[in-house]
Amino acid sequence: MSNWHPSHDQLIEFSTGTGSSAMSIAISTHLHFCQACRLQVSDTESMAAVFFEQQTEADLDAGGFDKLMERLKQEPAPAPQPKRAPSRFPPVVEKLIHQDTESLDWRSPMKNLRVSRLFTDETGLILGLHHMRSGGRVPHHTHRGNEISVVIEGGFSDEMGSYGPGDFIHLSKEHHHSPQADADGDCWMLSLVEAPVRLTGPLGWVLNPFIKA
Amino acid sequence: MTEQQLQEREHYASLLEKVAESQDTLAFQGIYDHFGPMIKAFGVSSGLHYQGDHLPEELVQEVMMTIWRKAGQFDRRKAAPSTWIFTIARNQRIDMLRKLSKYQNDVDADDVWDLEGDTDLFGEVRETRIQAHVKSELNKLPIEQKQIVAKVFLEDKSHQEVASELNLPLGTVKSRVRLAMQKLKTQLGATEL
Repeated sequence: MSNWHPSHDQLIEFSTGTGSSAMSIAISTHLHFCQACRLQVSDTESMAAVFFEQQTEADLDAGGFDKLMERLKQEPAPAPQPKRAPSRFPPVVEKLIHQDTESLDWRSPMKNLRVSRLFTDETGLILGLHHMRSGGRVPHHTHRGNEISVVIEGGFSDEMGSYGPGDFIHLSKEHHHSPQADADGDCWMLSLVEAPVRLTGPLGWVLNPFIKA
Repeated sequence: MTEQQLQEREHYASLLEKVAESQDTLAFQGIYDHFGPMIKAFGVSSGLHYQGDHLPEELVQEVMMTIWRKAGQFDRRKAAPSTWIFTIARNQRIDMLRKLSKYQNDVDADDVWDLEGDTDLFGEVRETRIQAHVKSELNKLPIEQKQIVAKVFLEDKSHQEVASELNLPLGTVKSRVRLAMQKLKTQLGATEL
Protein backbone atom coordinates (compact mmCIF):
# COMPACT_ATOMS: atom_id res chain seq x y z
CA MET A 1 0.00 0.00 0.00
CA SER A 2 1.13 3.43 -0.91
CA ASN A 3 2.05 6.11 1.64
CA TRP A 4 1.49 9.24 -0.41
CA HIS A 5 -1.98 9.96 -1.68
CA PRO A 6 -4.04 12.41 -3.72
CA SER A 7 -5.83 15.02 -1.59
CA HIS A 8 -9.44 14.62 -0.50
CA ASP A 9 -10.71 17.09 -3.09
CA GLN A 10 -8.65 15.52 -5.87
CA LEU A 11 -10.32 12.17 -5.11
CA ILE A 12 -13.77 13.79 -5.12
CA GLU A 13 -13.10 15.45 -8.46
CA PHE A 14 -11.97 12.11 -9.80
CA SER A 15 -15.12 10.36 -8.52
CA THR A 16 -17.40 12.95 -10.08
CA GLY A 17 -15.42 13.11 -13.32
CA THR A 18 -14.65 16.81 -13.03
CA GLY A 19 -10.86 16.69 -12.74
CA SER A 20 -8.72 17.38 -15.81
CA SER A 21 -7.80 14.50 -18.14
CA ALA A 22 -4.15 14.32 -17.12
CA MET A 23 -4.97 14.60 -13.39
CA SER A 24 -7.58 11.85 -13.72
CA ILE A 25 -5.04 9.55 -15.37
CA ALA A 26 -2.52 10.23 -12.59
CA ILE A 27 -5.14 9.46 -9.93
CA SER A 28 -6.33 6.36 -11.77
CA THR A 29 -2.71 5.18 -11.78
CA HIS A 30 -2.46 5.74 -8.03
CA LEU A 31 -5.74 3.84 -7.49
CA HIS A 32 -4.23 0.85 -9.27
CA PHE A 33 -1.89 0.52 -6.28
CA CYS A 34 -3.98 1.95 -3.43
CA GLN A 35 -6.95 0.14 -1.96
CA ALA A 36 -7.65 2.86 0.64
CA CYS A 37 -8.18 5.49 -2.06
CA ARG A 38 -10.21 3.08 -4.20
CA LEU A 39 -12.50 2.70 -1.21
CA GLN A 40 -12.90 6.48 -0.93
CA VAL A 41 -13.71 6.78 -4.61
CA SER A 42 -16.23 3.98 -4.39
CA ASP A 43 -17.88 5.62 -1.34
CA THR A 44 -18.05 8.96 -3.12
CA GLU A 45 -19.67 7.30 -6.13
CA SER A 46 -22.26 5.70 -3.83
CA MET A 47 -22.98 9.12 -2.32
CA ALA A 48 -23.18 10.85 -5.68
CA ALA A 49 -25.61 8.16 -6.84
CA VAL A 50 -28.07 9.26 -4.13
CA PHE A 51 -27.95 12.84 -5.48
CA PHE A 52 -28.32 11.38 -8.98
CA GLU A 53 -31.50 9.52 -7.95
CA GLN A 54 -32.99 12.51 -6.17
CA GLN A 55 -32.73 14.93 -9.08
CA THR A 56 -35.84 16.50 -10.51
CA GLU A 57 -36.34 14.17 -13.44
CA ALA A 58 -36.34 15.42 -17.01
CA ASP A 59 -39.06 14.24 -19.39
CA LEU A 60 -37.82 11.94 -22.12
CA ASP A 61 -38.62 12.53 -25.78
CA ALA A 62 -41.52 10.47 -27.08
CA GLY A 63 -40.39 7.40 -29.00
CA GLY A 64 -36.98 7.36 -27.33
CA PHE A 65 -37.16 3.71 -26.33
CA ASP A 66 -38.14 2.55 -29.83
CA LYS A 67 -35.27 4.55 -31.28
CA LEU A 68 -32.94 2.92 -28.76
CA MET A 69 -34.08 -0.59 -29.70
CA GLU A 70 -33.70 0.28 -33.38
CA ARG A 71 -30.10 1.35 -32.76
CA LEU A 72 -29.34 -1.78 -30.76
CA LYS A 73 -30.75 -3.98 -33.53
CA GLN A 74 -28.25 -2.50 -35.94
CA GLU A 75 -25.34 -3.21 -33.64
CA PRO A 76 -23.21 -6.21 -34.38
CA ALA A 77 -23.33 -8.82 -31.63
CA PRO A 78 -20.81 -7.84 -28.99
CA ALA A 79 -17.47 -9.52 -29.48
CA PRO A 80 -16.34 -11.50 -26.45
CA GLN A 81 -14.18 -9.26 -24.27
CA PRO A 82 -10.56 -10.26 -24.58
CA LYS A 83 -9.15 -11.21 -21.22
CA ARG A 84 -6.82 -8.46 -20.14
CA ALA A 85 -3.23 -9.60 -20.49
CA PRO A 86 -1.16 -9.11 -17.37
CA SER A 87 0.78 -5.93 -17.87
CA ARG A 88 3.91 -4.38 -16.46
CA PHE A 89 2.44 -0.94 -15.78
CA PRO A 90 -1.15 -0.05 -14.79
CA PRO A 91 -3.43 -0.61 -17.84
CA VAL A 92 -4.10 3.09 -18.42
CA VAL A 93 -0.34 3.75 -18.60
CA GLU A 94 0.17 0.82 -20.98
CA LYS A 95 -2.48 2.30 -23.25
CA LEU A 96 -0.80 5.71 -23.22
CA ILE A 97 2.64 4.40 -24.05
CA HIS A 98 1.38 1.78 -26.50
CA GLN A 99 3.14 -0.89 -24.47
CA ASP A 100 6.57 0.18 -25.58
CA THR A 101 8.70 2.67 -23.71
CA GLU A 102 11.57 2.63 -26.18
CA SER A 103 9.65 3.99 -29.14
CA LEU A 104 8.67 7.11 -27.17
CA ASP A 105 10.42 10.38 -27.83
CA TRP A 106 12.92 10.79 -24.98
CA ARG A 107 14.91 13.80 -23.83
CA SER A 108 17.36 14.09 -20.99
CA PRO A 109 16.95 17.47 -19.28
CA MET A 110 19.17 16.56 -16.32
CA LYS A 111 21.81 14.00 -15.55
CA ASN A 112 20.39 10.53 -14.77
CA LEU A 113 16.90 11.48 -15.83
CA ARG A 114 15.11 11.07 -19.13
CA VAL A 115 11.59 12.23 -19.80
CA SER A 116 8.99 11.69 -22.47
CA ARG A 117 5.99 13.94 -22.96
CA LEU A 118 2.79 11.94 -23.41
CA PHE A 119 0.23 14.72 -23.91
CA THR A 120 -0.93 18.14 -22.74
CA ASP A 121 -4.50 18.23 -21.50
CA GLU A 122 -7.28 20.82 -21.77
CA THR A 123 -6.06 22.67 -18.66
CA GLY A 124 -2.45 22.87 -19.81
CA LEU A 125 -1.18 20.10 -17.54
CA ILE A 126 1.57 18.11 -19.19
CA LEU A 127 1.49 14.37 -18.56
CA GLY A 128 4.86 12.72 -18.96
CA LEU A 129 6.85 9.62 -18.21
CA HIS A 130 10.08 9.89 -16.21
CA HIS A 131 12.79 7.28 -16.09
CA MET A 132 15.74 7.18 -13.68
CA ARG A 133 18.44 4.53 -13.96
CA SER A 134 18.94 2.44 -10.86
CA GLY A 135 21.12 4.25 -8.35
CA GLY A 136 21.24 7.41 -10.47
CA ARG A 137 21.05 10.78 -8.72
CA VAL A 138 19.40 13.76 -10.41
CA PRO A 139 21.05 17.17 -9.71
CA HIS A 140 19.47 19.55 -7.21
CA HIS A 141 16.52 21.39 -8.65
CA THR A 142 13.38 23.12 -7.53
CA HIS A 143 9.89 23.20 -8.98
CA ARG A 144 8.62 26.54 -10.06
CA GLY A 145 5.04 25.40 -10.35
CA ASN A 146 3.23 22.44 -8.92
CA GLU A 147 4.34 19.03 -9.99
CA ILE A 148 2.98 15.59 -9.18
CA SER A 149 4.88 12.36 -9.58
CA VAL A 150 3.33 8.91 -9.37
CA VAL A 151 5.80 6.07 -9.06
CA ILE A 152 4.80 3.19 -11.33
CA GLU A 153 7.85 0.94 -10.96
CA GLY A 154 10.87 0.89 -8.66
CA GLY A 155 11.43 3.70 -6.22
CA PHE A 156 13.53 6.72 -5.30
CA SER A 157 14.52 8.80 -2.30
CA ASP A 158 15.11 12.48 -1.75
CA GLU A 159 15.62 14.82 1.18
CA MET A 160 12.00 14.36 2.26
CA GLY A 161 11.64 10.61 2.19
CA SER A 162 11.59 7.49 0.08
CA TYR A 163 8.89 6.48 -2.35
CA GLY A 164 7.65 3.30 -3.97
CA PRO A 165 5.04 2.10 -6.47
CA GLY A 166 1.77 4.04 -6.32
CA ASP A 167 3.12 6.92 -4.25
CA PHE A 168 1.49 10.16 -5.37
CA ILE A 169 3.95 12.90 -4.57
CA HIS A 170 3.06 16.61 -4.62
CA LEU A 171 6.03 18.87 -5.26
CA SER A 172 5.95 22.64 -5.15
CA LYS A 173 8.34 25.52 -5.29
CA GLU A 174 9.25 24.95 -1.64
CA HIS A 175 10.87 21.69 -2.59
CA HIS A 176 14.51 21.72 -3.54
CA HIS A 177 15.55 18.17 -3.99
CA SER A 178 18.01 15.81 -5.54
CA PRO A 179 16.19 12.52 -6.06
CA GLN A 180 18.11 9.27 -6.30
CA ALA A 181 16.68 6.09 -7.77
CA ASP A 182 16.85 2.97 -5.63
CA ALA A 183 19.89 0.83 -6.25
CA ASP A 184 17.97 -2.37 -6.97
CA GLY A 185 16.20 -1.29 -10.15
CA ASP A 186 15.22 1.56 -12.45
CA CYS A 187 12.54 3.97 -11.34
CA TRP A 188 9.63 4.85 -13.64
CA MET A 189 7.14 7.59 -12.87
CA LEU A 190 4.21 9.39 -14.38
CA SER A 191 4.58 13.12 -13.95
CA LEU A 192 2.21 16.05 -14.11
CA VAL A 193 3.75 19.45 -14.65
CA GLU A 194 2.04 22.79 -14.87
CA ALA A 195 5.06 25.05 -15.22
CA PRO A 196 8.73 24.85 -16.14
CA VAL A 197 11.16 23.19 -13.76
CA ARG A 198 14.09 25.39 -12.74
CA LEU A 199 17.52 24.07 -11.97
CA THR A 200 19.06 25.70 -8.93
CA GLY A 201 22.63 24.79 -9.72
CA PRO A 202 25.36 27.40 -10.15
CA LEU A 203 24.24 28.11 -13.68
CA GLY A 204 20.73 28.98 -12.57
CA TRP A 205 19.24 27.96 -15.88
CA VAL A 206 15.58 27.60 -16.43
CA LEU A 207 14.16 24.77 -18.38
CA ASN A 208 11.04 22.79 -18.87
CA PRO A 209 11.90 19.13 -19.19
CA PHE A 210 9.38 18.76 -22.00
CA ILE A 211 10.53 21.63 -24.18
CA LYS A 212 13.67 21.48 -26.22
CA ALA A 213 16.22 23.83 -24.69
CA MET B 1 -32.62 2.32 4.26
CA THR B 2 -36.36 1.82 4.26
CA GLU B 3 -37.92 -1.46 3.20
CA GLN B 4 -39.26 0.24 0.09
CA GLN B 5 -35.86 1.55 -0.94
CA LEU B 6 -34.31 -1.88 -0.48
CA GLN B 7 -37.05 -3.48 -2.55
CA GLU B 8 -36.53 -0.93 -5.28
CA ARG B 9 -32.83 -1.65 -5.32
CA GLU B 10 -33.45 -5.40 -5.57
CA HIS B 11 -36.05 -4.86 -8.28
CA TYR B 12 -33.71 -2.95 -10.61
CA ALA B 13 -30.84 -5.32 -9.84
CA SER B 14 -33.07 -8.16 -11.04
CA LEU B 15 -34.00 -6.27 -14.20
CA LEU B 16 -30.31 -5.71 -15.00
CA GLU B 17 -29.64 -9.42 -14.48
CA LYS B 18 -32.49 -10.30 -16.85
CA VAL B 19 -31.01 -8.03 -19.51
CA ALA B 20 -27.64 -9.75 -19.03
CA GLU B 21 -29.02 -13.28 -19.06
CA SER B 22 -31.63 -13.15 -21.79
CA GLN B 23 -31.56 -9.71 -23.47
CA ASP B 24 -34.99 -9.19 -21.94
CA THR B 25 -36.39 -6.08 -23.62
CA LEU B 26 -39.24 -5.71 -21.15
CA ALA B 27 -36.76 -5.57 -18.27
CA PHE B 28 -34.65 -3.16 -20.32
CA GLN B 29 -37.65 -0.90 -20.82
CA GLY B 30 -38.26 -0.94 -17.06
CA ILE B 31 -34.71 0.34 -16.57
CA TYR B 32 -35.15 2.95 -19.31
CA ASP B 33 -38.40 4.28 -17.84
CA HIS B 34 -36.93 4.57 -14.36
CA PHE B 35 -33.37 5.74 -14.98
CA GLY B 36 -33.76 7.49 -18.36
CA PRO B 37 -35.26 10.67 -16.84
CA MET B 38 -32.45 10.79 -14.24
CA ILE B 39 -29.76 10.39 -16.90
CA LYS B 40 -31.34 13.16 -18.94
CA ALA B 41 -31.55 15.44 -15.89
CA PHE B 42 -27.89 14.69 -15.21
CA GLY B 43 -27.07 15.71 -18.81
CA VAL B 44 -28.96 18.96 -18.34
CA SER B 45 -27.31 19.67 -14.96
CA SER B 46 -23.97 19.11 -16.67
CA GLY B 47 -24.83 21.79 -19.22
CA LEU B 48 -24.73 19.38 -22.17
CA HIS B 49 -27.64 21.19 -23.80
CA TYR B 50 -25.48 24.31 -24.16
CA GLN B 51 -23.31 22.31 -26.57
CA GLY B 52 -26.30 20.96 -28.49
CA ASP B 53 -30.02 20.74 -27.72
CA HIS B 54 -30.13 17.04 -28.49
CA LEU B 55 -27.18 16.05 -26.27
CA PRO B 56 -29.01 15.28 -22.98
CA GLU B 57 -31.29 12.88 -24.88
CA GLU B 58 -28.27 11.49 -26.71
CA LEU B 59 -26.62 10.87 -23.34
CA VAL B 60 -29.64 8.78 -22.33
CA GLN B 61 -29.30 6.73 -25.53
CA GLU B 62 -25.55 6.22 -25.11
CA VAL B 63 -25.85 5.26 -21.45
CA MET B 64 -28.69 2.83 -22.18
CA MET B 65 -26.71 1.22 -25.00
CA THR B 66 -23.78 0.77 -22.62
CA ILE B 67 -26.10 -0.76 -20.03
CA TRP B 68 -27.36 -3.21 -22.68
CA ARG B 69 -23.82 -4.19 -23.69
CA LYS B 70 -22.31 -4.33 -20.21
CA ALA B 71 -25.21 -5.67 -18.16
CA GLY B 72 -23.17 -8.85 -17.67
CA GLN B 73 -20.65 -6.85 -15.65
CA PHE B 74 -23.25 -5.62 -13.18
CA ASP B 75 -22.86 -7.37 -9.86
CA ARG B 76 -25.44 -6.61 -7.18
CA ARG B 77 -22.97 -7.59 -4.48
CA LYS B 78 -20.64 -4.78 -5.58
CA ALA B 79 -22.91 -1.86 -6.37
CA ALA B 80 -26.47 -0.59 -6.28
CA PRO B 81 -28.08 -0.27 -9.73
CA SER B 82 -28.16 3.53 -9.23
CA THR B 83 -24.42 3.66 -8.47
CA TRP B 84 -23.53 1.44 -11.41
CA ILE B 85 -25.66 3.53 -13.76
CA PHE B 86 -24.34 6.81 -12.31
CA THR B 87 -20.76 5.74 -13.07
CA ILE B 88 -21.72 4.82 -16.65
CA ALA B 89 -23.44 8.20 -17.09
CA ARG B 90 -20.37 9.99 -15.69
CA ASN B 91 -18.05 8.14 -18.08
CA GLN B 92 -20.30 8.74 -21.09
CA ARG B 93 -20.52 12.43 -20.24
CA ILE B 94 -16.74 12.63 -20.15
CA ASP B 95 -16.38 10.86 -23.51
CA MET B 96 -19.11 13.01 -25.06
CA LEU B 97 -17.51 16.26 -23.89
CA ARG B 98 -14.10 15.08 -25.00
CA LYS B 99 -15.37 14.29 -28.50
CA LEU B 100 -16.72 17.84 -28.70
CA SER B 101 -13.44 19.45 -27.68
CA LYS B 102 -10.14 19.66 -29.49
CA TYR B 103 -8.30 18.04 -26.63
CA GLN B 104 -8.30 14.39 -27.45
CA ASN B 105 -6.13 11.48 -26.66
CA ASP B 106 -6.69 7.83 -27.28
CA VAL B 107 -7.66 7.08 -23.70
CA ASP B 108 -11.39 6.54 -23.11
CA ALA B 109 -13.14 7.28 -19.85
CA ASP B 110 -13.52 3.53 -19.26
CA ASP B 111 -9.73 3.17 -19.30
CA VAL B 112 -9.43 5.75 -16.55
CA TRP B 113 -12.56 5.06 -14.53
CA ASP B 114 -12.36 1.31 -14.72
CA LEU B 115 -15.82 -0.24 -14.45
CA GLU B 116 -14.28 -3.63 -13.92
CA GLY B 117 -12.18 -2.51 -10.99
CA ASP B 118 -12.29 -4.82 -8.05
CA THR B 119 -14.40 -3.35 -5.30
CA ASP B 120 -15.39 -6.79 -4.03
CA LEU B 121 -14.13 -6.29 -0.57
CA PHE B 122 -16.18 -3.15 0.00
CA GLY B 123 -19.42 -4.76 -0.83
CA GLU B 124 -23.09 -4.29 -0.64
CA VAL B 125 -23.41 -3.84 3.10
CA ARG B 126 -21.08 -0.88 3.24
CA GLU B 127 -22.74 0.76 0.25
CA THR B 128 -26.24 0.21 1.59
CA ARG B 129 -25.23 1.86 4.86
CA ILE B 130 -23.67 4.83 3.10
CA GLN B 131 -26.66 5.41 0.87
CA ALA B 132 -29.14 5.05 3.72
CA HIS B 133 -27.16 7.55 5.74
CA VAL B 134 -26.88 10.04 2.89
CA LYS B 135 -30.64 9.82 2.34
CA SER B 136 -31.45 10.50 5.97
CA GLU B 137 -28.85 13.26 6.48
CA LEU B 138 -29.16 15.09 3.17
CA ASN B 139 -32.00 17.32 4.23
CA LYS B 140 -30.31 18.22 7.50
CA LEU B 141 -27.34 19.76 5.72
CA PRO B 142 -27.06 23.55 5.73
CA ILE B 143 -28.31 24.75 2.38
CA GLU B 144 -24.96 26.22 1.32
CA GLN B 145 -23.26 22.86 1.87
CA LYS B 146 -25.95 20.88 0.11
CA GLN B 147 -25.93 23.24 -2.86
CA ILE B 148 -22.17 23.00 -3.28
CA VAL B 149 -22.05 19.22 -3.01
CA ALA B 150 -24.88 18.90 -5.54
CA LYS B 151 -22.91 21.09 -7.95
CA VAL B 152 -19.76 19.03 -7.51
CA PHE B 153 -21.62 15.72 -7.88
CA LEU B 154 -23.95 16.53 -10.75
CA GLU B 155 -22.97 19.67 -12.64
CA ASP B 156 -19.63 18.72 -14.11
CA LYS B 157 -17.88 21.48 -12.20
CA SER B 158 -14.51 21.25 -10.54
CA HIS B 159 -14.08 22.84 -7.11
CA GLN B 160 -12.41 25.79 -8.86
CA GLU B 161 -15.35 26.24 -11.24
CA VAL B 162 -17.83 26.12 -8.37
CA ALA B 163 -15.75 28.72 -6.52
CA SER B 164 -15.76 31.04 -9.55
CA GLU B 165 -19.47 30.61 -10.13
CA LEU B 166 -20.41 31.32 -6.50
CA ASN B 167 -17.74 33.96 -6.12
CA LEU B 168 -16.21 32.15 -3.15
CA PRO B 169 -12.58 31.45 -2.32
CA LEU B 170 -11.47 27.98 -3.46
CA GLY B 171 -10.60 27.08 0.14
CA THR B 172 -14.16 27.80 1.25
CA VAL B 173 -15.58 25.50 -1.42
CA LYS B 174 -13.15 22.74 -0.49
CA SER B 175 -13.93 23.01 3.21
CA ARG B 176 -17.70 23.10 2.67
CA VAL B 177 -17.51 19.98 0.51
CA ARG B 178 -15.35 18.27 3.09
CA LEU B 179 -17.68 19.22 5.95
CA ALA B 180 -20.75 18.09 4.06
CA MET B 181 -19.15 14.78 3.11
CA GLN B 182 -18.13 14.20 6.71
CA LYS B 183 -21.71 14.69 7.86
CA LEU B 184 -23.10 12.45 5.14
CA LYS B 185 -20.63 9.73 5.99
CA THR B 186 -20.48 10.15 9.70
CA GLN B 187 -21.49 6.57 10.55
CA LEU B 188 -18.33 5.21 9.05
CA GLY B 189 -16.14 7.34 11.28
CA ALA B 190 -14.16 10.43 10.43
CA THR B 191 -10.94 8.48 10.01
CA GLU B 192 -12.33 6.79 6.96
CA LEU B 193 -12.82 10.06 5.14
